[in-house]
Amino acid sequence: MARNRTTALVALLALGAAACQRGAPAPDARPRVALVLKTLNSPFFIDMQKGAQEAAQRVGIDLVVQAAEREIDVDKQMQIIENLVQTGVKALLVTPSGSREVVPAIAKANAANIPVVVLDTRVDPAAAREAGVRIATFVGSDNYEGGRIAGEHLVAATGGKATVAILEGIPGHETGDSRMRGFKEAVAGAPGVKVVASQPANWERDLGFNVFQNMLQAHPAIDTVFACNDMMALGAVEAVAAAGRTGRIRVFGFDAVDDARKAIDQGTMVASVAQFPAEMGRVAVESAARLLKGESVPEDQTVRIELVTRAAAPAAPAAPPAAAGAR
Amino acid sequence: MRGLSGLGRRGRQLGTLAGLVVLCLLVTALTPHFLTVSNLLNVLQQTSINAVIAVGMTFVILSGGIDLSVGSLLALAGVALATALQAGMPVPVAVLVGLGVGGACGLVNGALVTLGRLPPFIATLGMMSVARGAALMFTEGRPVSGFGPGFRALATERVALVPVPVLVTLAVYLIAHFALARTRFGRYVYAIGGNEEAARLSGVPVRFHKAMVYGLSGLMSGLAAALLTARLNSAQPIAGIMYELDAIAATVIGGTSLLGGAGTIGGTLIGALVMGVLRNGLNLLGISSFLQQVVIGLVIVGAVLIDSLLKTPDRR
Repeated sequence: MARNRTTALVALLALGAAACQRGAPAPDARPRVALVLKTLNSPFFIDMQKGAQEAAQRVGIDLVVQAAEREIDVDKQMQIIENLVQTGVKALLVTPSGSREVVPAIAKANAANIPVVVLDTRVDPAAAREAGVRIATFVGSDNYEGGRIAGEHLVAATGGKATVAILEGIPGHETGDSRMRGFKEAVAGAPGVKVVASQPANWERDLGFNVFQNMLQAHPAIDTVFACNDMMALGAVEAVAAAGRTGRIRVFGFDAVDDARKAIDQGTMVASVAQFPAEMGRVAVESAARLLKGESVPEDQTVRIELVTRAAAPAAPAAPPAAAGAR
Repeated sequence: MRGLSGLGRRGRQLGTLAGLVVLCLLVTALTPHFLTVSNLLNVLQQTSINAVIAVGMTFVILSGGIDLSVGSLLALAGVALATALQAGMPVPVAVLVGLGVGGACGLVNGALVTLGRLPPFIATLGMMSVARGAALMFTEGRPVSGFGPGFRALATERVALVPVPVLVTLAVYLIAHFALARTRFGRYVYAIGGNEEAARLSGVPVRFHKAMVYGLSGLMSGLAAALLTARLNSAQPIAGIMYELDAIAATVIGGTSLLGGAGTIGGTLIGALVMGVLRNGLNLLGISSFLQQVVIGLVIVGAVLIDSLLKTPDRR
């Protein structure tokens, strides 16, 4: 009895999953390429996926997209890569969940002679060198430059006088570290700009809220916050509102997601650095297509960035494909 | 005692095993990439970390408790081990440091539950937070990475094609099975989980054995930490978040009752494999990540639902 029921249950579930899958296009002659994202629950990566899928349609690639349940789960990401390598994908596109931890997984793709394209987050150069892994190309924004233009905007807008808090990403992540370095470097030239607090909020909105609320308690003089992504910036916006100080604290974000653009429109945020994840997805897929044809691609492909401010915001939705494509 | 006779329990285990076999057959039918030696070895290696943690979890749940701290202990033991390696300690010593940190924190859980009379949920919930915070403080939030090939061998080396983590896991299950089925310690764990008061009255040193069970669970987290750190060539203070839930899932899919007193270690191994095969198969089939979570959740609930449906008539 027990046997039959368990068996039946598992069978039903697997069949159900397979049936859902049948909705996808049938296997075809197009080369199968894997895109492994950090997560699929952030607009940034959804845009990246969209850009990649559109490009895949165009260049004739069968794109499989997978992501771990949690952005920080480096082992799950490694498992996904191992499993996809098994299916004999022709190329692997990956946004590393950990700059160092992704290296053994890339080594496995290398061993199977699958070219690897890294998106968005750089692989730690020392770890890559030590393991001797080969990366065909990196496609991403210059995060340092993004932090720098935000910092320069702050200095210009305030005449070089501000009391700043920084919301960091997950410690040890190259992306967040570069943004922060760029920002700090830009404000270092202005002695009137003081960074009084800097804490990680792990890229998350609710942590951004809590951490910034606590910072405001400890340093009531804070008049500016630079968050290393928009999720944390939007959390900070709510914390500012809860403190009844909307409009009196400048909030800078990074990524220029839809919600951040709205906040900039409404004046609750000052600016956000726009990345173009859809373009990253597109360039990565096109690079994979070229690699499969045996053509060479540049080692490093930087995708443009720009600062979105209130003056620029109304025009923005039409310009970048990232924003226009979002729901 | 729990409504399932000895035969019934074996039937339950066979049922789970049949479920695993059917799952494998289905995945095999759906994709040609599943039934290959290299993929099956991947599945075993991917399952090993959860499977090792689930051994400790099975002992704890059999004794009528729960351990929510295993993921955090994995992180803390991992960074301790990694720091020891970077300080130049030989590999076996560093691994012992990791095991020691895990085991010691586990014993603290045990002391809180027995001497402090805290509910296991609360004691290990506290440890979950303390150990995670300690790991973050100790490393200032940064991963500790880059080890010599001697340590990495723990993940990369193969003996007759079989990866070392798989062998380690097998050894752990053999020992755990023997301990549960053939030793006094095992009998006492069942007795405590079945009816703690009765066990006490019949002279079982309840406190001691309960404390040991939590110590064992911490030790298993330390072992899993060594395997994970070698695999990723890095120890992350944020590693293992929510791993406690995967371990609990493997245990209950394997037929161990959350009320304690009933279950087998073999069942847990099958439970861990069901989760591993499921994840692997869903990846191979390229099924959307969101649907994967739905399927995994349904399997967990379904497996336990069957238990409870089968048990009710027995009780009346």
